[in-house]
Amino acid sequence: ILSQGTFEGCNCFRQRLVLSTLSGKRVKIRNIRSKDDNPGLRDFEASFIRLLDKVTNGTRIEINQTGTVLFYQPGLLYGGSVEHECNVQRSIGYYLEALLMLAPFMKTPLRAVLKGVTNDPTDPSVSVCPFISLSSKRRVLKRGMAPAGGGEVLFTCPVRRSMKPVHLTEPGKIKRIRGTAFSVRVSPQMANRIVDSARSILNKFIPDIYIYTDHMKGASSGKSPGFGLTLVAETVNGTFLGAEVVSTPQGQGDPVLPEDLGRNCAKLLLEEVYRGGCVDSTNQSLSLLYMTLGQQDVSKTLLGPLSPYTVEFLRHIRDFFQIMFKIEQQKPGEDEQKGGEKVLMTCVGAGYSNINKTIK
Amino acid sequence: MEKKEQKRHQHKHSGPKADKKNRKKEQGTEPERDERKRNPRAFSVQSAVRMAKTFHRTQDIKTKKHHIPLVDRTPLEPPPVVVVVMGPPKVGKSTLIRCLIKNYTRQKLSDICGPVTIVSGKKRRLTFIECNNDINSMIDLAKVADLVLMLIDASFGFEMETFEFLNICQVHGFPRVMGVLTHLDTFKNNKTLSKTKKRLKHRFWTEVYQGAKLFYLSGMVYGEYQTQEVKNLGRFISVMKFRPLVWRTSHPYVVADRMEDLTDPEDIRLNPKCDRTVSLYGYLRGTFLKNKCQVHIPGVGDFSVADVSFLPDPCPLPEVIKKRALNVKERLLYAPMAGVGGLVYDKDAVYIDMPSGHGSQQQEEVRPTTELVQSLIGTQATLDAKMAASKVSLFTGTAALTPEEVQENEKQNPMESREWDERAQRERRRAVFADEDDDDDDDDDGDGEQESDEEEDEEEDDEEDEDEEGVTTLKKHDKTAAETAAPPVKKQKCEVPMEMPAFADSDDELEKSEEDESEEDESEEEEENEENEEMEEGEPAKKSSGPDSGLCSEDDDEDEEEDSDTDEDGDGTVKSKMSSKHPEEENIDTDDAEMGYETAGALRWKEDLAQKATEAYLRHQLAAPNLRKLVYGTVAEKEEDDSNDEEELGGLFKVNRPEKSKKVRADAMDCSRFQPDNSHDWDQEEMLASIRDCFVTGKWEEDKDAATLLKEDEELYGDFEDLETGQVHKAKTGNKDQAEGGNDDEINGDDDDDEEEEAPQVKLDDDEVQKNKRLEKKRRLKERFDAQYDDGDATYFDDLKEEMQKQAELNRQEFEDVDDEIRVQYEGFRPGMYVRVEIPALPCEFVTNFDPHYPIILGGLGPSEGNVGYLQMRLKKHRWHNRILKTRDPLILSLGWRRFQTIPLYYIEDHNGRHRLLKYTPEHMHCGATIWGPITPQGTGFLAVQTVGGIKASFRIAATGVVLDLDKSVTIVKKLKLIGYPYKIFKNTSFIQGMFNTVLEVAKFEGASIRTVSGIKGQIKKALRTPPGAFRATFEDRLLMSDIVFLRSWYPASVPQLYNPVTSLLMPVGQKETWAGMRTLGQLKHDLGIRNKPNQDSLYKPVVRQVRHFNPLHIPKELQKALPFKNKPKQMQAKGKTPRDLQRPAVVREPHEKKVAALLDALSSVYAYKNKKARAEQHAKHKEFLKQKEKQEAERQKRMKEERKKTYRAMGQKEKKKLKSSLKGASKDN
Repeated sequence: ILSQGTFEGCNCFRQRLVLSTLSGKRVKIRNIRSKDDNPGLRDFEASFIRLLDKVTNGTRIEINQTGTVLFYQPGLLYGGSVEHECNVQRSIGYYLEALLMLAPFMKTPLRAVLKGVTNDPTDPSVSVCPFISLSSKRRVLKRGMAPAGGGEVLFTCPVRRSMKPVHLTEPGKIKRIRGTAFSVRVSPQMANRIVDSARSILNKFIPDIYIYTDHMKGASSGKSPGFGLTLVAETVNGTFLGAEVVSTPQGQGDPVLPEDLGRNCAKLLLEEVYRGGCVDSTNQSLSLLYMTLGQQDVSKTLLGPLSPYTVEFLRHIRDFFQIMFKIEQQKPGEDEQKGGEKVLMTCVGAGYSNINKTIK
Repeated sequence: MEKKEQKRHQHKHSGPKADKKNRKKEQGTEPERDERKRNPRAFSVQSAVRMAKTFHRTQDIKTKKHHIPLVDRTPLEPPPVVVVVMGPPKVGKSTLIRCLIKNYTRQKLSDICGPVTIVSGKKRRLTFIECNNDINSMIDLAKVADLVLMLIDASFGFEMETFEFLNICQVHGFPRVMGVLTHLDTFKNNKTLSKTKKRLKHRFWTEVYQGAKLFYLSGMVYGEYQTQEVKNLGRFISVMKFRPLVWRTSHPYVVADRMEDLTDPEDIRLNPKCDRTVSLYGYLRGTFLKNKCQVHIPGVGDFSVADVSFLPDPCPLPEVIKKRALNVKERLLYAPMAGVGGLVYDKDAVYIDMPSGHGSQQQEEVRPTTELVQSLIGTQATLDAKMAASKVSLFTGTAALTPEEVQENEKQNPMESREWDERAQRERRRAVFADEDDDDDDDDDGDGEQESDEEEDEEEDDEEDEDEEGVTTLKKHDKTAAETAAPPVKKQKCEVPMEMPAFADSDDELEKSEEDESEEDESEEEEENEENEEMEEGEPAKKSSGPDSGLCSEDDDEDEEEDSDTDEDGDGTVKSKMSSKHPEEENIDTDDAEMGYETAGALRWKEDLAQKATEAYLRHQLAAPNLRKLVYGTVAEKEEDDSNDEEELGGLFKVNRPEKSKKVRADAMDCSRFQPDNSHDWDQEEMLASIRDCFVTGKWEEDKDAATLLKEDEELYGDFEDLETGQVHKAKTGNKDQAEGGNDDEINGDDDDDEEEEAPQVKLDDDEVQKNKRLEKKRRLKERFDAQYDDGDATYFDDLKEEMQKQAELNRQEFEDVDDEIRVQYEGFRPGMYVRVEIPALPCEFVTNFDPHYPIILGGLGPSEGNVGYLQMRLKKHRWHNRILKTRDPLILSLGWRRFQTIPLYYIEDHNGRHRLLKYTPEHMHCGATIWGPITPQGTGFLAVQTVGGIKASFRIAATGVVLDLDKSVTIVKKLKLIGYPYKIFKNTSFIQGMFNTVLEVAKFEGASIRTVSGIKGQIKKALRTPPGAFRATFEDRLLMSDIVFLRSWYPASVPQLYNPVTSLLMPVGQKETWAGMRTLGQLKHDLGIRNKPNQDSLYKPVVRQVRHFNPLHIPKELQKALPFKNKPKQMQAKGKTPRDLQRPAVVREPHEKKVAALLDALSSVYAYKNKKARAEQHAKHKEFLKQKEKQEAERQKRMKEERKKTYRAMGQKEKKKLKSSLKGASKDN
């Protein structure tokens, strides 16, 4: 219906731009919120485009007057030292997810300092974001909560020539749970209350739980108050499942009790465990991307049920790389008590190699 | 006489003889003992550092031998090996190919036209391609060749083409190269022959590698090489092993062996120059080819593939391998461009071109150089004419070709003119042309009948006969025409057409069966057979439906999704539905099925099509679960529904309302979070229990449970004896056996009642079980031991290799049992498949100027390789190219699949990483080059030539190199010196002007360091208001007004964005090697007759030297005074004239005095003469005297000697006597 490389609407905006950058195919997105009262690209999307422009060289971006049509011709990924002021409408996780996909394929190792909102309820935060990824480093320098932001995250990632095929089919059993309860510009007691409530649920399963409390003060506490909890379950095979809940931003909806938040987060982690797989639901697309960009070998990954975002991502991978995944459903056994249905994703890599890296 | 006593031998103690002896002795006496044993100290570790060094060195050498292990991705059924036969013209390439084909398949091929694929062995197929003497072909074929047969005319020696080709190969990954020496029979002298062989061999070795295989083809017999030699060569080819080359293993490629023009004839009629849609056929090589990918056709350009589909292999390997050698039927030959092809499969039709691959079919008859269909399309004739043509196409193998086609061929291939070729084959061909009118009539008649009549089989028979007769008569004609030149084999040829009718008969039988069905069917069937009809009438939709016409096609998915909407899990219902939807599914399922639906059982093979389709459907259903459809089924269709519910307001305005449902789809929140399922309530116990086993605290699997593992351990290590106490610990095997046996042999336990009856057997079983158990135990013990002790030895390299091995295994197994239709969607088309690639929008010249002698290659491009950018590369001028290269002179590069012209800028990297522009490439050194060109992965090699048209340079390859970096910007800078002059000088400060023009420019350079020619350094301080561009600068010393100040700066150079693909394949036939792109500056000037006006200062003028004039030396008075006397200038006054009074008067003699003086003079001279004479006499006398005296003396001496001799003798005798007497006396005494 639409010609190749043309899309409609701002859905999966990041996926399209990231895959376009990686595959070198130009992209045209039409009808971006064309029927909305406030048509065109939002500020956070503009900020995202600006970030892409910073890490690439030779990118051509054309946006029409109303901002409803975007033409994007990717350049080459450059990397290097980048500092970006992220828009506060979305958290840094929004930007970081895209950077994680691009970072290994830069010319020079990426060292990005992202400023803005570190935690908000919509996007995954820095600490949950990517646990499968290579030797990249993320560090929260300053924590900034939702409405006003003021946080800072340092992200570094080395570059690679090519990706190895991924084989993550055996998630293993969870051996320990770690987590961080954080609070900024509220009573430090909040964090402790969160920890207690979270433990009360998780202790039924495993004793090895340690939840750090992190109270940031002064300059490193950002501009808005808030608190939250991130939990990570680690399995014996070294895979991670994460969950995160953050308090509602100041002045947007009802305030949350820390006890409720702790419990919710614990339940969310249990939900993740129920879904299972080797990668948690937020990182499914990243793992699938790395499978796609591998050498021309068979990669396999066991995932939980595919999230709508991942489904979209799979379609986009087909559009950009002509790669289809073999999707096999694995029904749980009769007497096994290992949560819900799993999905085994298999694909043959695209034989992608980093064309940006310089050889000497 | 008394015997003299012999002298004793004296041993030599010095001199060469003694030395020699000594040496011999030493060697002989040296014991043959091991040095190490004799002198262990000398070999003990002296220095740990040194020891470490030697160890490192040995390890280094060892690891250097390792290759980085690669995953083995060779397909199970590999594509045919590409054998490129290369060599300068008239060296015997075609003859060699012909001989090799004859050797492998026992068939003769007269015209080697395009790739020829043959089955050479049980596991190997070969594709022969002849490389003509065009550098374009050489470059293209070097990129796809697996093996190169390099023909060398031994009578002439090496030619430049050979070396050029070797260099091309080297750049694009070296394929196997085998040299073949021909024309060896021209040597009459055996010695020169062997000498030449040796010389050529050594030269070849230095170029390829030491010990490279060089084959000798001596002499020709009846225009062919000797059978035995060809057989040997064939054996070498069929056992050759190939190494994977990086570029080829990472890119898919197809060497097209067939080309069809699919363009609508109507479009061509309207606009003969319209873009063409072309399908190309060939074996896929390299790696997986994805549908709708980008390909590059060297010589044409970049195109995106519209559709790829795989076809049945036209030249398959034998299915079952049990015999030792291939039989005749299995030795297939496939060369559609040369007109040999057997059955030709298309996506939706089957063309029968020849009975089958085997049989000694002669190919001397007229062959369509391009495919039949294409030629027929090209005719643009009326329908019945096409019908006529189509009928005959069935039997092309019988050489009863339609006249149109023959004409077509002639039109298309003017190269095939008969003048230059006088050989019998060609002549015979002309005969066919001459007789074609008769044939034409026959065909037309036959076709007309066919159209009208229904008993077509008989008619066909007749027609066949006629055709056959025609052919035979033709043959006879030929024979008479070319009696002498015909090779002896030709007798067989007559038999060939005999086979054809037999085939046709069988076909007829098939048709007979149809005949019973109905008229309509028949006409349908006809349509199917007739390609041109098919092409004309086939709906475009049918054509465009690609390989995704399987179940996963979009329309079908739509249906399916609707199904799943209603009842998601009900497989049964789906099945039932499927049975009701039967015909549609058939339609979609396979292409054959599609046709089958239309014809409804027209053919026997179509009878159980419905059933087949059902089976296929079920299979697909199993293979593709719902999730797949959920993901890859399209969602776009649904959007259509929402789009048209816009309500009008007053018939004028449309209310534009944001619709919730659509917004969710198109403008939804971009968030990767997956909201949890609300149905899960994690407060409930059963919910918690459902994930109990996900934790280490939960239940483990049987094989990983700690308890079982412990048990196993005990089983293994249970038995032991405590030596101290003497206690023997026994593993509780018995119990456990019972316990486990209980489980294993449930039947035994159950059958307790019958135990007595079956007791012996049970016992036997028990023994067996015990034995198995023991074996199992042993095996496990061994495994454990191996794991413990072998792993320590395993290096990183071994691990890596094992990992690769595992990956290769997985790759092979993962999609092994998946249906090919589905499999190509997951993997892409795998190498080894015979694919049909449809490419739209090809320039019409590709079709109109098609020449099968030029290779057509489809090179797949990776992601983002279709883009253009700046490429930085390392380049070196080839040392055989006799000119250096100039920056900004256009150069033709062969990089990746591409050949293109571009403008390079050469640079060299300074020590600080700056890229400084060079005007020319340095000699014997690498330099950098930046071009604007296609993005190609780093590490790809390239080569450069200055022109591809004609041979102007002695060695055409100008440079070689490798891509280093890809970028979208350039970093090259050019040195620029800005010059200024002081116009006012203070002490260390000067005002400089002339360097800049405005204040702004100066402001930009504030603080920059400047320098004068004399070397005084300084710095720009600040701009002055007037004159514009002047500035204040400080220097480390005072300047002079005559000084020139300069500023050294770097100016970024820009690379011209020229990327001009070489479109040599689009050139007219016969002019394909004349492609000329942009000309260099030098060529332009030469062509236009422009001469540079030289700088006046650089011209030579006659040297005019002025005489130098030196001023006198002036020493100041003060200095003069201070000088020592020695150095003081001596101020001697010139001697004046002697005064008159001091001058002596001259004497004037009187006459008398004059006389006296004259007399005295005379007297004195007389006296002097006398004296002189007397002295001479005296001297002579004395000489005489001395002589006398000497004589006397000699006499005296002689006398004296005599005297002395006498006395001595006397003395001696006296002595002797004395001695004798004393002896006598003694003897007397005795």
